Amino acid sequence: MKQFESLTGKQLSRRQLLTGSALLGGGLLATGLTGCGGAAQATTVQDIDFWHLLSGGDGIKMQAMINSANQANPGFKVHPTVLAWGPPYYTKLAMASAGGRPPEVAIMHASRVPGYAPGGLIEPWDLDLLAENGVTAENFAPRIWEKSQQNGKIFSIALDSHPFVMFYNTDVAGKAGMLESNGQLQEVSSPDEFKAMALEMQKVTKAHGLSFGYLGLGSQMWRLFYTLYKQHGAEIVLTPGQPMKADRDAAIESLEFMASLFDDTIAAKSGDINTGIAEFVRGDSGMLFSGVWELPTMKKAKLPVDAATIPTLFGTPASYADSHSFVLPRQLTVDEEKRKDVYKFVSDVLKGSLSWAEAGHIPAFQAVVQSQAYRDLTPQIHYANAADIIAYDPEAWFSGSGSDWQTYFAEHIQNVLLGRDKAAAGWDGFAARTNNLLSRPNPV
Amino acid sequence: MSSSTMSRRTNQPRTTPKPGAKAGPSLRSSSANLSGWGFAAPFLVFFLVFLIWPLISGFYMSLTGKSLTGANESIIGFANYAEAFADAGMWRSLGNTLYFTVISTVPLVLVALVMAALLNIGLPAQWLWRLSYFAPFLLASTVVSLFFTWMYNPQLGLINDFLSKLGLPKVAWLNDPNVAMWAIVIATLWWTVGFNFLLYLAAMQNIPAQHYEAASLDGAGAWRQFFSITLPQLTPTTVMIVLLQILASLKIFDQVYQMTAGGPGGSTRPVVQYIFETGFTGYRLGYSAAISYIFFGLIVLVSIMQFVITRRRSA
Repeated sequence: MKQFESLTGKQLSRRQLLTGSALLGGGLLATGLTGCGGAAQATTVQDIDFWHLLSGGDGIKMQAMINSANQANPGFKVHPTVLAWGPPYYTKLAMASAGGRPPEVAIMHASRVPGYAPGGLIEPWDLDLLAENGVTAENFAPRIWEKSQQNGKIFSIALDSHPFVMFYNTDVAGKAGMLESNGQLQEVSSPDEFKAMALEMQKVTKAHGLSFGYLGLGSQMWRLFYTLYKQHGAEIVLTPGQPMKADRDAAIESLEFMASLFDDTIAAKSGDINTGIAEFVRGDSGMLFSGVWELPTMKKAKLPVDAATIPTLFGTPASYADSHSFVLPRQLTVDEEKRKDVYKFVSDVLKGSLSWAEAGHIPAFQAVVQSQAYRDLTPQIHYANAADIIAYDPEAWFSGSGSDWQTYFAEHIQNVLLGRDKAAAGWDGFAARTNNLLSRPNPV
Repeated sequence: MSSSTMSRRTNQPRTTPKPGAKAGPSLRSSSANLSGWGFAAPFLVFFLVFLIWPLISGFYMSLTGKSLTGANESIIGFANYAEAFADAGMWRSLGNTLYFTVISTVPLVLVALVMAALLNIGLPAQWLWRLSYFAPFLLASTVVSLFFTWMYNPQLGLINDFLSKLGLPKVAWLNDPNVAMWAIVIATLWWTVGFNFLLYLAAMQNIPAQHYEAASLDGAGAWRQFFSITLPQLTPTTVMIVLLQILASLKIFDQVYQMTAGGPGGSTRPVVQYIFETGFTGYRLGYSAAISYIFFGLIVLVSIMQFVITRRRSA
């Protein structure tokens, strides 16, 4: 009987629950209607979804640029979604595009476009519409505009180029007697000269001459390697179905030079990126190899810092770089009005990219680069020449920033840098891995 | 409600109750059947939509060259399986997964047992011990990974700092291929041992006190009691914990992805990460599905072996 009573009790409470749900449902319906009303009222304001992978200082700058674009254009409102850098971002973007429900506009690294454009995950930009908004080929450095193209169509609009550079502590360099009369670091042009300079700085810091965090991070290893490799005037060509074409000697020489830096005197043997940056910020080293995006960290730390492109040690000036670029992910159905607003938004951001330069990046939009305001930015102006010597990743569906290919590079090269493996063995292992990828069916 | 009354009405003429027999039971069972299905329906729908259908479509996908971009959806038979069996990367990641399973399952079971036994002795402030042993299990994998990544940091980490104070050399915890997997096992042990500990503790506290009383009357010491009463009584729990632990360890992904991303040199990349990489960052969904099914087959095999061993023991 007791059980029966309790059941009745439950039935009653269930009824109450149902009543409650009905009320709640009604409430939700009312809210929904209000929402519809809101949307109906806002028909003139287009909501534009924008995905990007810019966090930290970059994220704050991007948000400021979005805000000013939104304020200047009452006809649309851009809603950014920030996703984690690297595979998580690119996986989500690819899946959303494959499903046909991606954001209206997104940021991609220019080096990843060859993995997206042929498969139809992104759509080409309309040059006429761009021109209507004041964006034409003449607004970009030839190297950057050329990189925007795939099969003769423009698939990405570069916001910047962000090279891998050398930061240096002017106090340390000054004490080491390494500064020129103009206050900038002396030029060195060979591996031995560079190491001698680092050792002089080490005498000042008593810790290390150079900081370079690389452990466990393929992208860092690749950035420095590719800079040095390209300084040999060498190329890497990746053609599906064919083995990789590369200059093995140049690769081995670059790797051997890198490994020789990590002797716990010039640079720490076991440094990851956090350790490397922390060491430089503490003043325990005179130089840091890193991306320009670290500049806000240095400024925040009030470090006496200047920067330059990585010295040309092997004959040909070159600097690894990539570009944050705007792309149009493939939509199931394109809303032409929204798309027009996207063009307006992108052109506004490009024209306002001086604020982006403050975060360390080199703006792609030439009007900004040539402005006096940009020329007044230091140390940005000291590495602005990088835009002329930048080396993008070799093109393949599997290469580019944050790609698995960089992870595979780390798998074969980390032990070389740690002195556990010969440079030749590491390079050959990486080449074999790359050839394996090239031999497989191209999925895009 | 209306369907059950309908069925009662339609059934009524057909049921010809024998003299003296009650009509109730058959009526009750048919309506009970209906309400049974009704109760099971939400689960069945979920089961079909989220388990059976993906299982079938995943297998179909493994027979195609499907790419994330939607290209090559045509059936290519078992070519993906043939490629996977010849793929050194798959075997290596599978080997890493099995290696992790072996070296993590043993401490995860033994340490849990020791922790539960220590607590079962009757230490004071039981709640505090239970909480501190179990609390890490409640943390998210990202928190645990971040925590241990800092602890393991070669230059700034707490552990290396401690080692150098003892005059011992620093260890590249997550960057030495010989050490990285063990570093992940230590983090996993700290994080998840609490669950096994709780199962053991519950089982230990269910062993009747009379057994111990009788044993102590017979002169058995604490060790004797542990090996002759506690351990044998815990056998079903141990079997269950080992089974659950093996299956959990085989599915390792989160903490590896966050602490080493499969490195150094691919020495910690588990097969689940390999599946993720081939499918989502390498775009080859069909091939990735084929590796998933090979891994699925392995898990089924392990489960069958466990089942057979358990049955043989209990028989």
